[in-house]
Amino acid sequence: MPYNIAMICDFFFPQPGGVESHIYQLSSKLIDRGHKVIIITHAYAGRTGIRYLTNGLKVYHVPFFVIYRETTFPTVFSFFPVFRNIVIREQIEIVHGHASLSNLCIEAILHARTMGLRTVFTDHSLFGFADAGSILTNKLLKFALSDIDHVICVSHTCKENTVLRASLDPLMVSVIPNAVVAENFRPLSNDSHNPRHRDAPGPPPRIGPHDTITIVVISRLFYNKGTDLLIAALPRILALHPNVRFIIAGSGPKAIDLEQMIERNVLQERVDLLGPVRHDEVRDVMVRGHIYLHPSLTEAFGTVIVEAASCGLYVVCTRVGGIPEVLPRHMTEFAAPEEDDIVAATGRAIAALRVGKVRTELFHNQVKQMYSWTDVAQRTERVYDGISGATSHDQFYQGAGAGGAWSATRGRAGVQSFALIERLKRYYGCGIWAGKLFCLCAIVDYLIYVVLEIFAPRSRIDLARNWPKKEFKDEKGRDVGSSKDDSGISRKRSARRREKRDEREESQESLI
Amino acid sequence: MAPPKQSLTVLQPTPSTVSFTVSTRPVPKTLPALFSFYLSVLVKILLGTLALTALWTKWRVNTAKSTWPLEIILGDTFEEWVQKAVESIQWMYLAPAALAILYKVIQRGYIESLLALSSLGLQTRTSSPTYLSTSTTRFIPTTAIQDIFIYEAFKGFEVRFYLAIVVKGEEDVVVVFPKLLPRRDVLEEVWRGARACLYGGEGGSGIRRKHEREKQEI
Repeated sequence: MPYNIAMICDFFFPQPGGVESHIYQLSSKLIDRGHKVIIITHAYAGRTGIRYLTNGLKVYHVPFFVIYRETTFPTVFSFFPVFRNIVIREQIEIVHGHASLSNLCIEAILHARTMGLRTVFTDHSLFGFADAGSILTNKLLKFALSDIDHVICVSHTCKENTVLRASLDPLMVSVIPNAVVAENFRPLSNDSHNPRHRDAPGPPPRIGPHDTITIVVISRLFYNKGTDLLIAALPRILALHPNVRFIIAGSGPKAIDLEQMIERNVLQERVDLLGPVRHDEVRDVMVRGHIYLHPSLTEAFGTVIVEAASCGLYVVCTRVGGIPEVLPRHMTEFAAPEEDDIVAATGRAIAALRVGKVRTELFHNQVKQMYSWTDVAQRTERVYDGISGATSHDQFYQGAGAGGAWSATRGRAGVQSFALIERLKRYYGCGIWAGKLFCLCAIVDYLIYVVLEIFAPRSRIDLARNWPKKEFKDEKGRDVGSSKDDSGISRKRSARRREKRDEREESQESLI
Repeated sequence: MAPPKQSLTVLQPTPSTVSFTVSTRPVPKTLPALFSFYLSVLVKILLGTLALTALWTKWRVNTAKSTWPLEIILGDTFEEWVQKAVESIQWMYLAPAALAILYKVIQRGYIESLLALSSLGLQTRTSSPTYLSTSTTRFIPTTAIQDIFIYEAFKGFEVRFYLAIVVKGEEDVVVVFPKLLPRRDVLEEVWRGARACLYGGEGGSGIRRKHEREKQEI
């Protein structure tokens, strides 16, 4: 069943970033699967009104004040009239918000529940619990997520974090990882058709004991990205291994410390500082190295290490946040987030490469099979099926909280119920004062909704025309239709395999 | 709160001329409708004169001047009666009330129209909202018309459709029916008709083409 979905987030193109590209990729893949997707964000300088992106992806840039780092001013209710208008004219059924720092998204979830729509929220980041900012954000998140149908997190660690922050039932939180566009991160050897890199020698099949190994670090140079660890470990790694060079790309407040360290140890010849690079240049930097070092202190998912592995780099990373879930063991060398262990892990990685134990040239295809946006879209679609009742409750939660009497997902929240009194019950449990405040907000929101229904009735809102849908290939059509019936995981696998077959067939055709 | 009812009239006197008129003015057809229309005009005139008379009399009475025209028209007793009535009402109530009545009386519905002349161009016209001013028209020759399309924009708290003409050498598009902003079905009819008239054939070749232009505020 195709759905009409609205993706809501403060962060969207033209601003670059991980959340932005996640929304864009997911939306375009969902459109490919026959759904209708619109994106609602706020107006950016030079990007206002209503726009269409590739494939008929419609973007509403709602005119709004921006207060801090592209986040809109939290007015709670002022967004409702416009939001209601858009939802009605586009016949939206599912509202999907992204990023917990996006005020627009949190407001939209509240309004959507008031209007009786299904809501999904995707969390992209990890947060602390201790400082004032986190406490405030967590309270706000708890408010928004008290009354929601389903939550998606990008990794299991992120799920754990979100469940704790918003006191959710773990059953209503799914994990759907990010993905990468593997075609954009090809290793050098797959790149021979590109004339620019024709003379560049591919990585030799075997690295001898005296060949130079290049270690790449691409990250913003911030405290939480572990730049201090890098600064401490780098001279020791270079002292231990004579034939090793470093390439470091990125900018940030710690750049100055890094430069001082290089000058103090006179390492200018062996460390290459590139400064900031654009996202489309990342691949060109990565393919110059053999090992990717990622000393981050906290990370919800770490798309960059997937990109590195896709470029055929062996990954050395810290065992923090969601990172251990991201890549299989044979692609990574883990270290505890401390100086000694990073030096040791890097040493192990260099030794492994020299011995030739690691088949880095296979990484690209493996990553390509593990991470694809089509797969992400499929899994997100399953969440939509589950919350809208297309998949039965038992099937969706795989037997947990079996139907009928009390179930964790419905029992805690009765998530399916839109009745105002049920919603108020959920909000009331948020805290002594906060609970009452949230109830008040929900009631005011409901009253606004009633007033809007009277003074701006639905009959006066024109329905927007849908973008003409592309005709799907028969194979794809069957794929979408038949896969509905199977249960989730087996379906995912089979669909993925089928796609692979499709691709192979296509490539054969092109060869002929 | 409900906006006044809009009606679309299409007039095609010759095959190469079409005029589309969107109006909020009532067009009486049946006898009772005709009767009530003239009655409302009469009531408007009466109310208008009443308001003007009240203002004028108040002024004459306040400045202690004679109100002889009233005597001629209404007679002695009525003049005295009107004077008393006006005197009993203070300026602070009389003036705003009279002005409000006058404002209501001179107001009339909008008429906006688009006249398409094959191989000549398009003429947009927006009538004035009152009886006191005239309408504004604009003619755009075919050579200056680059495109005519329907798109959406934010207006106030809602998203509205609008029909716009792209004029060569101008930064902003010309919005057709800028005051009334009719519903989508009306706009689509006008758009098809105008394109058919301008470019001939079945509504032009680009009938399915979507236009990726935007304009935030109309």
